[in-house]
Amino acid sequence: MRLRRILILAVVAAVSACGDHVTAPEENGGLRVVATTTIVGDLVRTIGGPEVQLEVLMGPGVDPHLYKASAGDVRRMSSAEAIFFNGLHLEGKMTEVMERMGERGVTTVAVGECLPAEELITSAAFSGLHDPHVWFDVGLWARATHCVADALAELVPAHADAIRNRAQAYRDELTAFDGWVHERVGDLEPEQRVLVTAHDAFSYFGRAYGFEVYGLLGVSTASEAGTSDVKKLAHFIAERRVPAIFVETSVPPRYVQALKEAVEARGFAVEIGGTLFSDSLGDQGAPAGTYVGTVRANVETIVTALSETQ
Amino acid sequence: MDLFGDYTLRLVAFGSAVLGATSGALGSFAYLRRQSLLGDAVSHAALPGIAIAFLLTGSKAPLVLMVGAGLAGWIGTLVVRAVVGRSRVPYDSALGIVLSVFFGVGLVLLTFIQKQPNAAQAGLDSFLFGQAASLLRQDVVTMTVLAAAALMILGLLWKEFKLLSFDPDFASSLGFPVQRLDGLLTLLLVVAIVIGLQTVGVVLMSAMIVAPAAAARQWSRRLLPMVLLAASIGIFSGVAGSVMSSIVPRLPTGPTIVLVLSAVVVGSLMLAPRRGLVWRFLRLGRLLRAPDLDPVLMHLYALSLQHASDPEHGHKIAVLRTMSPSGADVGTALEGLADRGLAQQTGDGLWAPTPIGRREAERVLDREAES
Amino acid sequence: MQDAGSGWALEVEDLTVAYADQPVLWDVDLQVPAGVKMAIIGPNGAGKSTLVKAAMGLVRPVAGEVRIFGRPRESARGQIAYVPQRATLSWDFPTDVLDVVTMGTYGRLGWFHRSGAVQRQLAEAALEQVGMTAFLRRPIAELSGGQQQRVLLGRALVQDAPINILDEPFQGVDAPTERAIIGVLDGLAEEGKTIIVVHHDLQTVPEYFDSVLLLNVRAIDSGPVSEVFTEENLRLTFGGRVGVLETREIEV
Repeated sequence: MRLRRILILAVVAAVSACGDHVTAPEENGGLRVVATTTIVGDLVRTIGGPEVQLEVLMGPGVDPHLYKASAGDVRRMSSAEAIFFNGLHLEGKMTEVMERMGERGVTTVAVGECLPAEELITSAAFSGLHDPHVWFDVGLWARATHCVADALAELVPAHADAIRNRAQAYRDELTAFDGWVHERVGDLEPEQRVLVTAHDAFSYFGRAYGFEVYGLLGVSTASEAGTSDVKKLAHFIAERRVPAIFVETSVPPRYVQALKEAVEARGFAVEIGGTLFSDSLGDQGAPAGTYVGTVRANVETIVTALSETQ
Repeated sequence: MDLFGDYTLRLVAFGSAVLGATSGALGSFAYLRRQSLLGDAVSHAALPGIAIAFLLTGSKAPLVLMVGAGLAGWIGTLVVRAVVGRSRVPYDSALGIVLSVFFGVGLVLLTFIQKQPNAAQAGLDSFLFGQAASLLRQDVVTMTVLAAAALMILGLLWKEFKLLSFDPDFASSLGFPVQRLDGLLTLLLVVAIVIGLQTVGVVLMSAMIVAPAAAARQWSRRLLPMVLLAASIGIFSGVAGSVMSSIVPRLPTGPTIVLVLSAVVVGSLMLAPRRGLVWRFLRLGRLLRAPDLDPVLMHLYALSLQHASDPEHGHKIAVLRTMSPSGADVGTALEGLADRGLAQQTGDGLWAPTPIGRREAERVLDREAES
Repeated sequence: MQDAGSGWALEVEDLTVAYADQPVLWDVDLQVPAGVKMAIIGPNGAGKSTLVKAAMGLVRPVAGEVRIFGRPRESARGQIAYVPQRATLSWDFPTDVLDVVTMGTYGRLGWFHRSGAVQRQLAEAALEQVGMTAFLRRPIAELSGGQQQRVLLGRALVQDAPINILDEPFQGVDAPTERAIIGVLDGLAEEGKTIIVVHHDLQTVPEYFDSVLLLNVRAIDSGPVSEVFTEENLRLTFGGRVGVLETREIEV
């Protein structure tokens, strides 16, 4: 019995030591809004400005594919006036919760789903659904600003103009930034543009900037890689002499490490080119703490690692 | 075939084989000691250990998580022992309690942990169903060292563990420290389970413990061959599952290994001599076609075939009467069989064939089949 | 041959054993002289098996002391050979006759050592004594009740211990086996060994044994059969429903 008490104490101690990582609401009396991922959160914060009081459920480095809503999350969502999420099944385990929130009268906005369907990539490996990682095409993400602005303007009609102005400004900023990405990527020869990562988060990035992209795990991290997937990808990397492959912040690095070992066993020394922010932004306050900062960090990491000639 | 020329497959197949051998060998003892559920409880109990190890250290190193898993599994067995020793809760209920409480705590902690920065990087979710394809060389080295240590201890204390499993009271009367031996054997089982967590995960690990032993038991009549066969079945399933997952895209390795294992178990239950369903079915078929035998003995034998695990299970004389033509004096026939040493009374109005009686019936049936 | 000591092979003093706060044995005293054949008799639930288990340290008593040849039980290893109740073992265990009997040598073998030719010879000799030579390699799952009992007896013989404790050795065995067991026990008695048998058949007590303990949670009486095995004692032990003694008198 004493044992059990010690065990319980250990759990309590561990839990309380780590605290709660949901970002504290920004108390400013604005519209109470919940965003699921840091990426959607950044967009809402930029456009909503002082008119919203934002809470983001998933912190940096959290994997949205596997994230399950806790009781606290549900409470936060039901007391919010609007919920912004990525949609397109990115938050794979929260689809039902979102539907239920909608039924309860909370405004729910799936940012990824307001983009025109013909711009979305359909993934055979994701049961024929659309690939949800839309934000890695900066030009496409710029078009999502409307969607957020419209929803917010409707909820806070008094500040509709301010919201629309911020959205337009941000859209212009993103368009300019898109030009910078194109330029930076231009440092790589077209045949150098091969991006291998842990999971298929970069197909929009690949389409926009001319990269061949390969992920070990498929579009969702919920799938398990089979031995054959590692084998095939390792074979490809060795064959094409891809100089670097990439770890992601929200996926265990062991998959990419296993891949690296498999490539090396084929007599080709592939580097781990660095860590990419895939399904979340970097820590708030850090350079990669914003959407622009994150994409810039990714692009720098990719271009630096892949331009190493072997 | 250059199938095994591939690095990844070689690594995964080798790791799975190590796991199969260890869990097969140690699972045999758990199976024979009627502790099949213990493996289930230990592997589920390991989950909160993994979570707590991550929370306390913030580390995502496999070794740290494995130590946490092992400790929690071990504590789980101690709790089972304490519950059984200090209350009237029976053993299997205690296992069930530990299994569900620990696993529940583990799931709660996982939900909590997902909010932690770096939590996704630790890949704790993959401990539920395992991630064989992401095994690294370092993991396989760790697994092999642990497995070798566990199997070496099993070899050194072979006769002590055999005695403990067959007749613990007798072992105790000889002066062996039965409690400590029991603890050590359980610890080895925990090690076998920890080895498998990365490959097949906590949910499927119990199959790796029970299934090879259950299949091997059907084919073997002595302990050493049974343990060797169980280990071989474990190795075979591990390698076969890895190969299949390396040929078919997106086929996860751990669950494939368990499926291969299940096929071996079903095959063994069907086909094994004496214990298998097919064997017993064929026997019954021959029985029905055999004319000039002592009918009561044959009826008794037919009934005993339905109790393969306990051939001396007693059958009601009333049942034998309904099987015989009306008016037949079943009672006298049974007395006659008893005099010839072919049948025995096992209780009031309960009869069973003796081993000699069963052999006699089988001998007659074999002769019948040849003619 | 044995310690001169007090002359008692086994002494039990003030022994109390309880399962889940329910006393199974209450303040039992017993002195077993060396070289006797003693039966332990009592109704179901009288604590007969518990008494012999406590004597070997298999169950932990609430109170009391056990001495073997005058020494505390803990320091008297290898003095007792034990034949447990046949029904408590899992006969489905994958092993054979020779292997089970060889287990009797494990106590002397010590840790880590394997049994070899010497142990095999001992086991074969014991199997010959119990008439099971023809079944050396027979899996134990394929034995009849009587054969199982012979194997367990063989395993105890291998131990060559001065005290032999048998728990219900005649339960569910055929008549030839019962006679064979009695023959073996007589042989042991002639060698001067002490034999203690948990027994349930009152009729055969005077024929098979020279001493008896009447037990029903408490020790009712113990001593030579001729003095202790009386109708009054049996009535005290079994609670008045004993028709055995009349039968015995008819036999006499």
